[in-house]
Amino acid sequence: MTARIGSALLLVLLLAAWELYGRLSGIPSLVVPLPSAVLRTLWDGLTSGFLLPHLAMTSAEMTLGLAIGCAVGFLTGVLLAEVEGLRRLLYPYIIASQVVPKLALGPLFIVWFGFGMTSTVVITALICFFPLLENTMTGLGQVDPNKRELFRMLRATRLQTLLRLKIPAGLPVILAGVRVSVVLALVGAVVGEFIGGRTGLGASIIAAQGMMDSTMMFALFIVITALGMAFYQAVTAIERWLLRRHWTN
Amino acid sequence: MSFVSIDRASYDVQPGQSIVDHIDWTIPAGEFHCLVGRSGCGKTTLLKLAAGLLQPTAGAIRIRGSAVREPSPEVGFVFQTPTLLDWQTALDNVLLPLSLARRPLPQDRRKAEELLDLVGLSGLEGRHPRALSGGQQSRVAIARALITEPALLLLDEPFAALDAITREELQDDLLRLCALRGTTVLFVTHDIAEAIYLADRVAVMENGRLHHALAVDLPRPRGRDARYSPRFTALCRALRRAMDGAPAEPVPLDAAS
Repeated sequence: MTARIGSALLLVLLLAAWELYGRLSGIPSLVVPLPSAVLRTLWDGLTSGFLLPHLAMTSAEMTLGLAIGCAVGFLTGVLLAEVEGLRRLLYPYIIASQVVPKLALGPLFIVWFGFGMTSTVVITALICFFPLLENTMTGLGQVDPNKRELFRMLRATRLQTLLRLKIPAGLPVILAGVRVSVVLALVGAVVGEFIGGRTGLGASIIAAQGMMDSTMMFALFIVITALGMAFYQAVTAIERWLLRRHWTN
Repeated sequence: MSFVSIDRASYDVQPGQSIVDHIDWTIPAGEFHCLVGRSGCGKTTLLKLAAGLLQPTAGAIRIRGSAVREPSPEVGFVFQTPTLLDWQTALDNVLLPLSLARRPLPQDRRKAEELLDLVGLSGLEGRHPRALSGGQQSRVAIARALITEPALLLLDEPFAALDAITREELQDDLLRLCALRGTTVLFVTHDIAEAIYLADRVAVMENGRLHHALAVDLPRPRGRDARYSPRFTALCRALRRAMDGAPAEPVPLDAAS
């Protein structure tokens, strides 16, 4: 609790110093806007409803991209962890697909899927896919050999071993992958909008840049940060709920 | 009548390198046999052969006359570590062997609760493994192995990680539970006193071979007094000598006096 008050106090102090320096030095607001101006723009943007469609769009893209990327990553991870031959066959290609900078594929996706939501969702999903794949494979592979032997001794089928041993035992590692994906999903959605968005927080940053409106850009940074924090907290809460039985007393 | 017969069974990791080397051994129905030996002598491998988790490269292992080819529902196995599922309660862990085969019925739950009572865990069936002590986890593991009422129970140093007093309590509980159902037991340990206390017969294993067998004639039921009787001490000493590679010699009965 004291640590939290300390953190909050530090923020207030830094903002006050920034405001003071900005006012005294007379630095142009195009370069560094005053915190008070940023907060006013943010407030106006929220109350006038100007920011809301953009916020909704980016949240939707992030949610969809995260859901699709995580689902496909998890299923592919399970498949590759279970089928040794498939892993050997496909893994080099999956690594290659991850080395390709996905944002560089953005222009191509615009050709394929057009401007707007679909391109961004595809980019976001592609970025979220890999951490889930990697962590699912690691998590399923890490199961205690004694427990695997126990399941053999109990004549469990392969599906039972997967559903009742490997996935629950690997869940902490798999969910750590989801947490990494959440952070990447925000980057994917915002940068995806830089390239091909009309609506959304990323698109708004590009628009604000076009109007040389640094104050608005700072206000958008705050919204994006808050959005990321909210998603991260939500995923942490879901993780805690799913793992409640792993750690309970 | 021999319930388990191990017939010149070998297990080679590669040709010429045997972990288990032409072992002959029989366990009559209802008897409690211990297998002792130093770490790495092949005890666990022999146990896994008996469980059907490994296949012998030569010879055979038969249970009630039929060769063991895969894990059987008649055989219960207790591992070195409790190997409980952390995300399930003690009760669900005990029910695991049943719930993998079918949906557990109300009477299965009652049976699991009874078993937990019998291993001294009444009232803890809703706890998760992390909220149980090491001894309690071992008790859950034993209850889990017994829920299918196996005719043969195989145990691989299940009490090695426990403190001396908890180990003694668990040994007594195990003897009681096995006597209750007439379960045939093969128990692997490296603890001489544990082997003598539990077993009707002790086999000494070294470098993949059985090179000594010792009959334990302590009367049953055995209790704390048995642990401190002169006969117990004499048998322990004889077993120790056998493990050191001394030639087989009978333990004279007068050592008990």
